[in-house]
Amino acid sequence: MTMFHFFNCAILTFGPHAVYYSATPLSEYDTLGTSVKAALVYLGTALVKLVCLATFLQVSENDGFDPYQELLKALIGFIDVAGLFFALTQLTHRNISQNHKFQAVGLGWAFADSVLHRLAPLWVGARGLEFTWDYILQGLEANANLVLSISLAALGSLIWLRKNKPKTLIPIIYACAGIVATMPSITSYLRRGLEWHFPKVVGFELFTSLVMAFISWQLFSACQRPSA
Amino acid sequence: MATSKKSGGLRDLLEPMYSVIALLFILVACVELCDAAAAVDVYRLIQYDMSGSPFGSRFAALNHHASSLRFPPGADLSRTVLIIPLRELNITFVREYITQKKPLGGLLFLLPEVLSFKHGGNKQVHEKEKMKKLLAELEQLLVNSNIPYPVYFAFENDDIDTVLTEIKKNDAMGQPATATTGGYKLVIPTAEPKKVASPTITNIQGWLSGLKADGDANQLPTIAIVASYDTFGAAPALSVGGDSNGSGIVALLEIARLFSLLYSNPKTRGRYNLLFGLTSGGPYNYNGTQKWLRSFDQRLRESIDYAICLNSIGSWDNELWIHVSKPPENAYIKQIFEGFSNVAEELDLKVGLKHKKINISNPRVAWEHEQFSRLRVTAATLSGLSVAPELFESTGGLFDGRQYVNETAIFRGVKLVAESLARHIYGHQGKDVQIFADESSLAVNPAYIRSWLDLLSQTPRVAPFLSKNDPFVMALKKELADHADEVNVQHENLEGIFTFYDSTSTRLNIYQVASVTFDLLLLLVLGSYLIVLFCFLVITTRGVDDLISLFRRPPSRKVKTA
Repeated sequence: MTMFHFFNCAILTFGPHAVYYSATPLSEYDTLGTSVKAALVYLGTALVKLVCLATFLQVSENDGFDPYQELLKALIGFIDVAGLFFALTQLTHRNISQNHKFQAVGLGWAFADSVLHRLAPLWVGARGLEFTWDYILQGLEANANLVLSISLAALGSLIWLRKNKPKTLIPIIYACAGIVATMPSITSYLRRGLEWHFPKVVGFELFTSLVMAFISWQLFSACQRPSA
Repeated sequence: MATSKKSGGLRDLLEPMYSVIALLFILVACVELCDAAAAVDVYRLIQYDMSGSPFGSRFAALNHHASSLRFPPGADLSRTVLIIPLRELNITFVREYITQKKPLGGLLFLLPEVLSFKHGGNKQVHEKEKMKKLLAELEQLLVNSNIPYPVYFAFENDDIDTVLTEIKKNDAMGQPATATTGGYKLVIPTAEPKKVASPTITNIQGWLSGLKADGDANQLPTIAIVASYDTFGAAPALSVGGDSNGSGIVALLEIARLFSLLYSNPKTRGRYNLLFGLTSGGPYNYNGTQKWLRSFDQRLRESIDYAICLNSIGSWDNELWIHVSKPPENAYIKQIFEGFSNVAEELDLKVGLKHKKINISNPRVAWEHEQFSRLRVTAATLSGLSVAPELFESTGGLFDGRQYVNETAIFRGVKLVAESLARHIYGHQGKDVQIFADESSLAVNPAYIRSWLDLLSQTPRVAPFLSKNDPFVMALKKELADHADEVNVQHENLEGIFTFYDSTSTRLNIYQVASVTFDLLLLLVLGSYLIVLFCFLVITTRGVDDLISLFRRPPSRKVKTA
């Protein structure tokens, strides 16, 4: 029965990635290689971030919100953005349209994030007899993260890959990209500083991810019109 | 061609990763899962066979749902564990369940924390007498029944209290915990209990030689002081036996100390040898005492003037009893009793004489002196108990902890015995001489009594579970060696009619589990979520036509060939 629970949480955490890949035209154009490369770039980025965190961050005794530490964490979080930049621009992709490139990169990025951050706790914890809601909430968080990653990849591709953009939209694009990039800091502030409970934080993440996805979709289609 | 090259490259990349991934999975699978709602130390009911008949709880492993006493009537409890706190215990209910052999998954009794010798400390016990009576009744019921499911004892603490209130709430809603309705699961993953191979009983004897006058060829007479040190109770890991017979051991050690002080100086050495005996096997008809006496040389046995056995002298108020098996008119018995009575009068306490005839054909030996009497040695037992206990009664049960023993009672008992013995040894009968007066160098030491009593109240001493070189037995030997001239240890096997089984204490894990229906429901919800997501994505990216075409096979092909 407890393997059952593990199976349930696993399909909640990793199912949407597979579904996204098979449902969209990504599968038709066989963009798996791009996703895998993006996943490897995420792995590298995570290692670099770990080293930086270990070097610069101090371990605090209480679990409160320390603004200086959080600022440092946010700065290190921008390494994420650098990694994404690397994945989008430097890796040689086959001839995939830009539309599909950012989706593939975002998907690979989100999948690697889920596996690295959520697979181990799931395997160790969800198989036990004891029942908690944590793993289901973690799965929902993975879903929100997928949407956020794809929107960040979309905004990133707009910033770095598209050359001609309408002037008025550029600041909005950068603003949205900034918000999405600092999402981890915002959630940790909510959890530690305002002391929200886990379900509330997950709800907030889901809501904001949908909002940001909608906004970036609108921006993307707006930028697409002049060249179309 | 390009695709095959690319896939070949990918495969090469993944091959060394496979072994790493496999290793990682093996490593992770070995991780112990230990996050439970609560983990409690529990102590199992004793399991033993007597002459082949099984008694006690016959199982140790537990893996069932928990329920409280407020289960809905008529519910099937054969796969449920009942959690019963002592204050809600209804002894007739338990008796009914056990004697009528109703099916039950297990029993867990919760004892108040004050009784725990690890955490209880010296807090006062409320309603002492009522609790003592209830525990004694429960113990007698459990020890003498054959129970085909695990029975455990645990001490109440915050964790288990919260769990119990939750269980009671669930039960009140009329939903007993089963596989389909969730609730709490109690898991004890131990192996099947095994027989304790050849349980040993260890007798320790200490010998203080008396003063032999020059030219005196005859052997000096001997006085023996004996106490049995092992216990027996419903939960062997909790049987510390404060009064029965911790008080006896402490008194014997203190008397040995006092007389070793007297005998260390040849001018004050008496003309009697003193033999101190710490015997084991007390609850089993004083089997150890019998074996110890049988091992004696005939001359030594004949030289014993009399033996005083100490049993449960820690909880009396102002009356002690001397139990004898020879008729009270016997000259020796009269002498002993008079000696004790005189000292008792001075110490302002009463001593009564009780005579119980021995029935040779009856294997039951209720007092230790009876083993001496069966070998024609004059003996008596000094005890706070007025009635002879039955088999496995007053042998250090659940209630017999530190709170039940009174240091002052032991102090007075030691004074009584020491003075009476000294007057007999030095020939001061009838004289008003106080040898062990307070404030003298030979005063009875209350700190010594207290420290030994504290130690004994934290040491469970059920004989089959004490190994040959158990540290406690070694400690007793060392202490006696400090006081006596010569110490001998005798190892014997416990009488064959008793067989004991191990697994006396373990850890219980309480898990909060979700029901199967919940998991199925969750699977349904997730399945529909993924399907909806799939359809949504297909519609938004490829169009509705693509979605429909997924479900309809292309009919055009067949038509074309036709």
